[in-house]
Amino acid sequence: MRRPLIGLTAYAEQIHHGRNDLMAAMLPMNYVKAVHATGGRAVLITPDEPGTDVIESLDGIVFCGGGDIDPANWGAPRHPATEADTVRDASELLLMRAALEADLPILGVCRGLQLMAVATGGSLHQHLPDVVGHERHRAAAGTDPLAAGSSDYGRHDVVVEEGTAAHRLFGRTLTVNSFHHQAIADPGEFRPVGWCPDDQVVEIVEHPGKSFALGVQWHPERTTDLRAFAALAEAAARDRAVVA
Amino acid sequence: MRPIIGMTSYVLPADWGVWRDLPTALVPHDYTEAVRLAGGRAVILPPDDHDADVLDRLDGLVLTGGPDLQPSLYGQNLGPHTVVHAERDIAELLLLRAALDRDLPILGVCRGMQLLTIAAGGTLHQHLPDVLGHEKHRPGPGVYGSQQAVLEPGSRIAALMGDDLTINCFHHQGVADPGSLTVTGRAADGLPEVVEDPDRRFVLGVQWHPEVSRDRRLFGALVAAASKELTKACADR
Repeated sequence: MRRPLIGLTAYAEQIHHGRNDLMAAMLPMNYVKAVHATGGRAVLITPDEPGTDVIESLDGIVFCGGGDIDPANWGAPRHPATEADTVRDASELLLMRAALEADLPILGVCRGLQLMAVATGGSLHQHLPDVVGHERHRAAAGTDPLAAGSSDYGRHDVVVEEGTAAHRLFGRTLTVNSFHHQAIADPGEFRPVGWCPDDQVVEIVEHPGKSFALGVQWHPERTTDLRAFAALAEAAARDRAVVA
Repeated sequence: MRPIIGMTSYVLPADWGVWRDLPTALVPHDYTEAVRLAGGRAVILPPDDHDADVLDRLDGLVLTGGPDLQPSLYGQNLGPHTVVHAERDIAELLLLRAALDRDLPILGVCRGMQLLTIAAGGTLHQHLPDVLGHEKHRPGPGVYGSQQAVLEPGSRIAALMGDDLTINCFHHQGVADPGSLTVTGRAADGLPEVVEDPDRRFVLGVQWHPEVSRDRRLFGALVAAASKELTKACADR
């Protein structure tokens, strides 16, 4: 059987490699490997394109992690700690709305989950330590054995609401890695269905009106727990079977 | 809908933001911008050795630059100056052979031209300074060698390039035997700089880097060929 084609939104970054310093469309390979390991075929969607026509070629899409979303998108002034990636914002907000409109299976990771809220009229906390009073959602040095660069990640539990798609996927609780300083304040059209029990920060959202639209605040692509990616691939394969 | 142009991807340990040496799939912005300006929609194809079914969704293919190809692919041992990336070789040859079977429009750049050559049964010089006795094709780190191409009259590349024959080279390997391809352009020293397959709709390989100048002549021709592919695909549906 042909594998579902999964688009991954890419970064546009100035990167350094050896003596080279160049502007590149790029994405950490662990996202690619997560898609391939769960039965999909990954292609990277570059952010320098404002068009959404590429959606028609995909069976599913992952909105990947990255920099902060510009708070102008929900009408708030910029916090000093906010580092907005406006190039990606413009491209990905269009893609997110087009993907929801088309009911394309969608997985949001970290920034991708936040984009789900912002694209549907929601808003974010711009600097979580101001709200929850601690730093455990990002670098807690050396505490995260799940992560590749363990000193860069925090680690905590997530509690999942019963009767939801996320509960069928993850069960009642799971432990996740964490690397973010912003979080959902208002989920827009999405529904929060998982929280960090220590501080009630939203960790999972899903869209009740779509066949598969799941957002997670952590980074499954950097762990061996690829259930979120497997669920996307399954939804994408189902989607494609219906189209065919 | 714009034609979708798949581009093969580099994989490098890259530094950006807080990250150091993180294995990263990337394509220099010049390539995506060259495709965008030519009217195509670029998607990046990270290496994958499973199958080439992704081609079903593509209207054209760009084989990007990058490290040297494994000499075992053309029956030689690894030379002292040859630096390879086996994961890319396997994935890109799989993709290229399937794209040739489908007669998908293909533009090969630098390493991409060399890949076209190998797929056509040809061979490479592993280190040009050993063969040519000069460094004009790669003057130094990060420096492109500006040269004037000599093109075959009546070839596709001659029609596309017009009067401006300046090319910017950055490579230390080159085509020795083009296999079943036709050499339609050379540098002043005689080294092949362009290969074409006249039997296919659009198969063009150039040894220089047209993406750096976002050269509409070449990327525009690829996108135009891909648009025909898209029209045909829509008619078939």
